[in-house]
Amino acid sequence: MSDEKEHASSGVEPGDTSKRVGMEVIRERGVDPEELREKLVDAIGAEFTTYYYYTNLRMHLAGEEDYKEITEDARLEDRAHFELVVPRVYELEGSLPNDIREFADRASCPDAEVPTPMDDDGGFDTEDLEVEDILEVLLEAERCAIRTWSEICDMTRGADPRTYDMAQRILNEEIDHEAWFIELLSKERDGEINPAGHFARGEPGDAPYSTNNRFNDSA
Amino acid sequence: MTRRANATWTVTVVVPDESSLDAAGETVELEVAEHETILAAARSAGVWLPADCQQGWCITCAARLVEGDVVHPSARRYDDGDREAGFVLTCTAKPRADTTVVVDQYDDLLEHRADRGKPPGNAKLGD
Repeated sequence: MSDEKEHASSGVEPGDTSKRVGMEVIRERGVDPEELREKLVDAIGAEFTTYYYYTNLRMHLAGEEDYKEITEDARLEDRAHFELVVPRVYELEGSLPNDIREFADRASCPDAEVPTPMDDDGGFDTEDLEVEDILEVLLEAERCAIRTWSEICDMTRGADPRTYDMAQRILNEEIDHEAWFIELLSKERDGEINPAGHFARGEPGDAPYSTNNRFNDSA
Repeated sequence: MTRRANATWTVTVVVPDESSLDAAGETVELEVAEHETILAAARSAGVWLPADCQQGWCITCAARLVEGDVVHPSARRYDDGDREAGFVLTCTAKPRADTTVVVDQYDDLLEHRADRGKPPGNAKLGD
């Protein structure tokens, strides 16, 4: 560092490891990085619970192999979203809850449960379970995710390009997912052709936006 | 109380002075149809109120009922304890009378949930 040039510190003294310039620059631009971080934990809580619930939902699309594959894409991409943002939570001096129940409780979207009660044998009572009911749960889960990541885009736009970049890439995929489930539900429930405008992912859970520039190898 | 022919109610939205919303300190009157949520009517009228899930789950849109009556037919996580304490979730709240709400009450509802050991307050404010 040049002696003549003043250190661009954002209020952080040279060598001080108790603060992060990566957070202070966000604060300087009018966003509370702690509030943002907690919102990210809520949002990836929803991605994680959705990944779990979609496992059950896709299994119960019995005999509908194309629906299963599309749900599998959404399931794996939701997990990719969780993986993508976890490191950002730690960069913002946060952490994942130690208790997974806390993580699920604070998820910003509702539980995407199989829309049927459990039976007396501990399995799902599938007698009245309809494909269209499962597709509706999937659709509303995606819509919630779109709203959440839009909120995070709003919160970070012009203030935190790193989080914004992640949020907008995730948002791209959530909007894809909504289009898929609108197409499937329209056909299944209403007999209507309502194209998503997409074709299949190259590989299951390809996550073309959220992993096209990998943030870390697990994403 | 007489139900109007067109089933539309006047909802008065009070935005507290201390709110970080653009409309802080303002009071806005909205005409809200009975099938419409307060949030949707506000945003349609150009009044930006906070919200996230819009499924009555995350409580970002929490408000306090000052007077009137609302129902939450599709809220995913709203209970009698919330209702008795006077909280409403504008994202799913539909008026059934002329109504007044004070918006931007997320922190208060979060605390209320935590006090009762209910999510997400228990997870976000718990020990």
